[in-house]
Amino acid sequence: MNNSNAPAKSRGVVLFAHNTPTVNYERIAEQASRLITYTLNLPTTIITAVDDTSNVRIGYANATPWYNMGRYRAYDLSPYDETILLDSDYLILDNNLLKILDTTIDYAIMDKNQSPTGTVDTPAILSIPMVWATAVIFKKTSKAKLLFDLVARIQRNYGYYKRLYHLKSNNFRNDYAFAIADNIVNGYQPRQGIPWTMLTADKPIKKLEIKNNNIILREEKSAHVIPRQSIHIIDKDYLQSDEYVEFVDTVCQIK
Amino acid sequence: MLFFGPIYGLINSYMSDINELVDQIKQATDYQINKRILREKIITDLHFTYNGGLFKATPELFSFVVCWNSEELFLEDTYQNPIKVNRKEFIDVCGQHYQMAMNHWHIEHEQLKRTRKV
Repeated sequence: MNNSNAPAKSRGVVLFAHNTPTVNYERIAEQASRLITYTLNLPTTIITAVDDTSNVRIGYANATPWYNMGRYRAYDLSPYDETILLDSDYLILDNNLLKILDTTIDYAIMDKNQSPTGTVDTPAILSIPMVWATAVIFKKTSKAKLLFDLVARIQRNYGYYKRLYHLKSNNFRNDYAFAIADNIVNGYQPRQGIPWTMLTADKPIKKLEIKNNNIILREEKSAHVIPRQSIHIIDKDYLQSDEYVEFVDTVCQIK
Repeated sequence: MLFFGPIYGLINSYMSDINELVDQIKQATDYQINKRILREKIITDLHFTYNGGLFKATPELFSFVVCWNSEELFLEDTYQNPIKVNRKEFIDVCGQHYQMAMNHWHIEHEQLKRTRKV
């Protein structure tokens, strides 16, 4: 029986956005927030400039500063009892993440990732299962707090954990820190994350359209018809473009 | 020079046709890739929550619950938690969810089969 006197738990989405010289993350987060409000009907909190310690991005936008050091503070900074913590480049176009909030688990992290052609970038973490901090769902419980405290500790002592877990990369990534923390919290055992695959558009995007509940993803050399679903977009140039704003406008107008 | 004028015009016209064709080919879409992406999406959609647990609506799960001989049982969910289940209620929720996701799959797949270019 439900306790009718129990206060309803607050739910919301938290995004981190810290501008760099080349990427206006706040602009990207504002559009992400519009999609979240429209699709999930949840409030969004955008956290800016939480940590000025810059990292250096390897791979995309080579060797430009990248401020990714404050993610562990999401537990304390989130104003919600139940939080969906997202990267601002993860476009929420379906409401499947709400299903995880309806379960009794303390937290869940995305652990499967695929590009439209089926490939994913080779993770630098070899000794334990990879997770993707692009989407982390957590509730304010002691187990979830332990996860974020561990992420902070791993970040502070990254050199040690890098050797301990045989990480190939010198560059700190939240993906690695969450993977290690998740492994420790669960007694060094593999654990079920978010039980479906995240779709990542890993190539530069020419255009994104939505037609008949399908998303048409046009890349330089190919195009994909994708059923309406959330997509992780790597191409930050596209996300800062006016075309992206028009895409969000179109999505938010469709009833 | 006057003699070559029309030939240059013809070549330019062929070149623009070829460029147009190249653009069209670039926009051709791969049915096998789209089919795989659609299947992944349907697997996501097949998940549903019941009594705090997360389940994937599969024929095996549905058949098992239909065959069970008492009105209450405990089922292991995706997160390896035992979830208390009311058999009739669960059959309704799971059946409806399965039907909805599979219908959606069928409709989308029929559309995809017809889509060669976008």
